[in-house]
Amino acid sequence: MAAGGGRYFCTAGRGLEPFLAREVRARLGATEVDCVSGKVFFSTEAEPGELRKLKSGERLFLLLKKHTPLAVSRNKGKMLHEIKSLVIEEPKYWLDVISIWRNFHGSEGKKDDVSQENPLPLKRKSEEETNIATKRQKTEQVRETVSEKCQVKAGERCVVPERKSDQDCGTESKTSLEDPSKSSGEKPIANEQLSFSFRVSCRCSGAIAKILTSQEIGRAIGIVLMKQCGWRADLRDPDLEIFVHLNDIHSVVGIPLFRLPLANREYIKTAGLRSTIAWAMASLAEISAGAFVLDPMCGLGTILLEAAKEWPEACYWGADISDSQLEGADVNIRTAGLMDKIELLRASVKALPLPSESFDTVISDIPFGKKFKITKDIQLLPDILQEMERVLRVGGTIVLLLSQDLHKRMGGVTKCAENESPNAISDGASETATAKALNIDGNSSSLVNGVEESFLSSRHTRFGCLVLDGVYGVSLGRTDAFIYKYRKISTAGNR
Amino acid sequence: KLGHPSELPPEPAPDYEGDEPFLRRVHHVLLEVEVLEGVLQCPDSGRQFPISRGIPNMLLSEEEA
Repeated sequence: MAAGGGRYFCTAGRGLEPFLAREVRARLGATEVDCVSGKVFFSTEAEPGELRKLKSGERLFLLLKKHTPLAVSRNKGKMLHEIKSLVIEEPKYWLDVISIWRNFHGSEGKKDDVSQENPLPLKRKSEEETNIATKRQKTEQVRETVSEKCQVKAGERCVVPERKSDQDCGTESKTSLEDPSKSSGEKPIANEQLSFSFRVSCRCSGAIAKILTSQEIGRAIGIVLMKQCGWRADLRDPDLEIFVHLNDIHSVVGIPLFRLPLANREYIKTAGLRSTIAWAMASLAEISAGAFVLDPMCGLGTILLEAAKEWPEACYWGADISDSQLEGADVNIRTAGLMDKIELLRASVKALPLPSESFDTVISDIPFGKKFKITKDIQLLPDILQEMERVLRVGGTIVLLLSQDLHKRMGGVTKCAENESPNAISDGASETATAKALNIDGNSSSLVNGVEESFLSSRHTRFGCLVLDGVYGVSLGRTDAFIYKYRKISTAGNR
Repeated sequence: KLGHPSELPPEPAPDYEGDEPFLRRVHHVLLEVEVLEGVLQCPDSGRQFPISRGIPNMLLSEEEA
């Protein structure tokens, strides 16, 4: 725990790790950036206020420990012993952790001054015994409710679920430990002073998950901490949360810096698309000062809000056919104080009341195929893309979010000027990026029905053409989606 | 047409660039007035698009599209 600056890790939805890695470098001047599946580790001297501004991450943690994966043994007891050794430290260690955590939270947090307490437990034995007995009861109860949320299977990575308010991701298990001040009636005053509360959140996958469950591990760690530090457990509203993640890649212990996930934006009243993905899409669009940005299917306006917050020196336009959605977008825009930046229109994306080549970028979340099966909606796609291309200036970008279904049908296919020869452009920022420019008559193995055929051949190059500049797979929680980035080039093949 | 007829002349005076009160009123109308209820009219076709709650409805009917 360095004095100036620290080492952190931030969880990220699957697919957003490269965006987060790039963001921590750009926004926080981060160094020693280490990107693994679902997490980005980094060091920075940035203040908490700056850290709070991260847009593509889920939860931010102060890194306490990072080790190589624990040796897995079939002996549960041996494994638990190993795991416990992760958190066994000199009392001063945990006091330091608390004071660091308090610095982050400023005057948040409860009144009892932990640093003045005697860190070593006084008469804990009787309380422990009561705890262990009642804890077993409680565990049985909690396990029922927790097991629905905790879907940790061996080898499966925890996917970031839909937005949760003020709680950890549902895939984490929580220990259930009896509150000592309830079980032991004696010494209520002493307990108040020593009542720094904590919770252990444990995620475990891979080889370790075959031997032990997250609950067992969390409980074991919780007991150790209670013994060592004299804290009490509080599942609902702890002072401090200890986060433990054990998998085949590493063993990580950290403390979350903020109560709410980073993805909760205080400037968005009603969210549509997940804010992290909306921001990531905007970050691909290359919005420069004075740019005109359009979302022709804006819904509640999430993409425009994220973009306008981050790149305020541009002009943002949103259109939607739904009155109720636009109403929600209007409320969002007013709540965020962005009325002078975002203009709304009620219009159809197939007939945009906007001049040709008037926008620098078009960003949109294509609503088809996510909640319902694609039926005739996909036939709208050519008209939609045609209008998007028409209002876009040459050299401009289109960034779209497509469902998994749409992605399969698109298959990386795009349209192009007849003279263009196929070339591959790869964007180094994404592992899944592939980019191809195909001839109209060129091969495309993913054409599955006549719709795409006619779509391709009817896309005359009167307005120019779109070249695919990257495909990024991201997780929406329960489903996957794909961010497609196109650039408009002129018919002559010049940008 | 925005309800400020008495404040703005129908056309700018020849030296409008130096007329500060005029410029202030134009600035206000152009940048600070938000039309909440009203109408946008297409200068070519004369077709009117209603504005409600600040949002113009530019959906075309089946025949128009």
